[in-house]
Amino acid sequence: MNKLVKLFTIFISAITLTIASISSSFAKVEGEYIVLGSAISLTGKYSSNGVHTQNGYNMAVERINKMGGVNVGGKSYKFEIIYYDDESNPKRAAQLAERLIKQDGVHYMLGPYSSGLTKAIAPVTEKYKIPMVEANGASRSLFTKGYKYLFAVLSPANQYLEVAIDLAVEKNGGKPVRIAQAFEQDAFSQDVRLGILDAAKRTGSEIIIDDKLPKELNDMAATLAKVKATKPDVLVVSGHTKGALTAIRQISEMKVDVPMLAMTHCDAAKLSKQHGKNSEYALCASQWHKNLSYKDKFFGGGKKYDRDFKKEFGYAPPYQSAESSAALLVFKDAFERANSFDRDKVRDALKTTDMQTFYGNIKFGPGGQNVAKPMILFQVRCKGDTCENKVVAPTKWASDKFYHPIPKWSERS
Amino acid sequence: MNTVKQKDLILYSGLIILGLAAPFLFSAFKVQLTYLCVLIVLAMTWNLQGGEMGYNSFGNILFYGLGMYLTASVQVGMFFPLAEWTESGGEKTFVHTTAQYFQGIGVGLLVAAIVPTIVAGAIGYAILGLRGHYFAICTLGLGIAAGEIAGGIEIIGAGQGFTTPPFPSEIVDPEARGQFFYFLSFLVLVLAFVFVKYIYGSRFRLILNAIRDNEDKAEAMGIQTMKYKIVGWMCSAFFCGLAGGIMGGLIGYIDSTDVAFDGREMGVFMVLMAILGGKGTLWGPIIGATLFHFFKEGLWTFILGWQYVALGVLIVVIVVYFPEGLMGWLREKYPDRFGEVIDEKDRKAQVEIK
Repeated sequence: MNKLVKLFTIFISAITLTIASISSSFAKVEGEYIVLGSAISLTGKYSSNGVHTQNGYNMAVERINKMGGVNVGGKSYKFEIIYYDDESNPKRAAQLAERLIKQDGVHYMLGPYSSGLTKAIAPVTEKYKIPMVEANGASRSLFTKGYKYLFAVLSPANQYLEVAIDLAVEKNGGKPVRIAQAFEQDAFSQDVRLGILDAAKRTGSEIIIDDKLPKELNDMAATLAKVKATKPDVLVVSGHTKGALTAIRQISEMKVDVPMLAMTHCDAAKLSKQHGKNSEYALCASQWHKNLSYKDKFFGGGKKYDRDFKKEFGYAPPYQSAESSAALLVFKDAFERANSFDRDKVRDALKTTDMQTFYGNIKFGPGGQNVAKPMILFQVRCKGDTCENKVVAPTKWASDKFYHPIPKWSERS
Repeated sequence: MNTVKQKDLILYSGLIILGLAAPFLFSAFKVQLTYLCVLIVLAMTWNLQGGEMGYNSFGNILFYGLGMYLTASVQVGMFFPLAEWTESGGEKTFVHTTAQYFQGIGVGLLVAAIVPTIVAGAIGYAILGLRGHYFAICTLGLGIAAGEIAGGIEIIGAGQGFTTPPFPSEIVDPEARGQFFYFLSFLVLVLAFVFVKYIYGSRFRLILNAIRDNEDKAEAMGIQTMKYKIVGWMCSAFFCGLAGGIMGGLIGYIDSTDVAFDGREMGVFMVLMAILGGKGTLWGPIIGATLFHFFKEGLWTFILGWQYVALGVLIVVIVVYFPEGLMGWLREKYPDRFGEVIDEKDRKAQVEIK
């Protein structure tokens, strides 16, 4: 037993030493760098969208640094981001936020991917009074909690597909429609559902199927079988990237005929590339599209962003990347207007943000959500074998007419 | 209980002092230390079934998740309508006063300890008749099913998750929250240790061992194995519930499958930690959990995106090189330090029988 005690003493001192040696802390601003922190989903179920987010951040950091950086107090600073992998898990995300703030000494945060993870991180940043600009947490409930340090460049989740229901009613001659819907059991998708419920109530529409899809989403045949039997006017599906891919795959396999199909995450899932013609006529909610006419001096316009992003990462930027890039533009703007690294001054500057970026206008409401930018809807349209996302609503940017109803599978070539 | 030897006394008091001083010494690491305490509790109590009783349970996560939801629900429900709290993803905001917060979490933790214990009794009665792999698979299903069911219950937030009450804003010190949860988890850790240590000195452990080594024989000797198996599982459930309750408050956001009934992570980790340290020993799970936590926190961030590959390699290394865990390996190497009589013949014979 004596030796065992010694063994433990050695063990414990080893641990103590290890902790002491790794607790060297970074500063919020180190030399010429402004250090931002972010927990990002690089593994797990959100990994593809996590990477879109990270690419968006990286692209903006590179661009801003190259074009003169951030000017504070007459000196030019560069952005640098510390990333951790949150494994698509809220528990891990909250822990990593704590780690970024307490151990790495980060004083400014960028958001993670998805509403659920943002919900887990926001209480931590709030506690330490760390300003966080997030680009991927759209859940409405994030903006009713009275968070003072949370700023979102995107429109809340409930607005994603509300317009689609209005559009369906309009196409139905102003009469209420019958809605079938299936949503993943996660914070974001369930918020999209709330938006649909509101729209249904407003238009007097009836919800005939209201299904929940599991988190590891790869099968929704049961819902589709019901859709086949009940013939609704609209089918609404939301479940991040996997939800969009699964829906299109199984709808085409089962030859489900429905006049209108409304979804989210079509561009993140690269639907038009991956499923080509099978994805045609899908109507998708998006925060951004390259054809919008917004401009800024860093990325030019949407089309230029699209080109540059493709050159750098080899695929067309989904809106998740665009909004993430915009988050850094917001931070830069706020630092320069605050002309200080004081967290509360930066926070006050963020609060009064009113700017245009290539991604859209940004102005924060009292809850921290972006109130200056509408959602858009695009529809997948194909010419021959190449399919593209065409903006169909709102009319200001519409490049194509909304095609309705979707032709039956038997009539599609 | 054996009388505590003087050397042990030094060790224990040293550890307790270290534990009490830790949040002040390593102030930036409070949350990680809290995690460590919770992980040790989970590993140590898992060891009661997996190590001592020979019943590999993947279902302890059920009690952990149950404790988490119960604590949060009670903490909210005592003062506000729970349904409104969770409605629409928690859109409405209610604020707990300082007194309400602590009363709530106190009562919540009490419920989180008692209810899972009862549930363990009921489920144990139904499924502890299964043995070996059948039991393991059955418990694996329990955790998964619980996650899916919880994800469909509106009153606890369903798929949108449950935001647990925020730490009272009247306490301005930003360190207070971390300290509160650390000391809470440390208290549970000490309780769990004292309890498990007590079990290690009792006849109860011998019965659990007898069940592990040969259940039929144990039954033939007149031991009501079923009764002891159920009680053993209930003991684990008690501490798992408490651990879950603390974690819910600490994380601040409960998601049905990713945080509460997180079988893929916590559920597997608790098994892994016990095996890493050496199951069937008092200190094994503690050392295993500590090493695992350090491995995870230290190494994972340097291999962004590849950490699960590294974890896989670690599991393979453990299983191949340390099938009996670190304690088992040490014991094999230095049996005299564990107070074992070195009788080579006997030792070899034992190994062969295994």
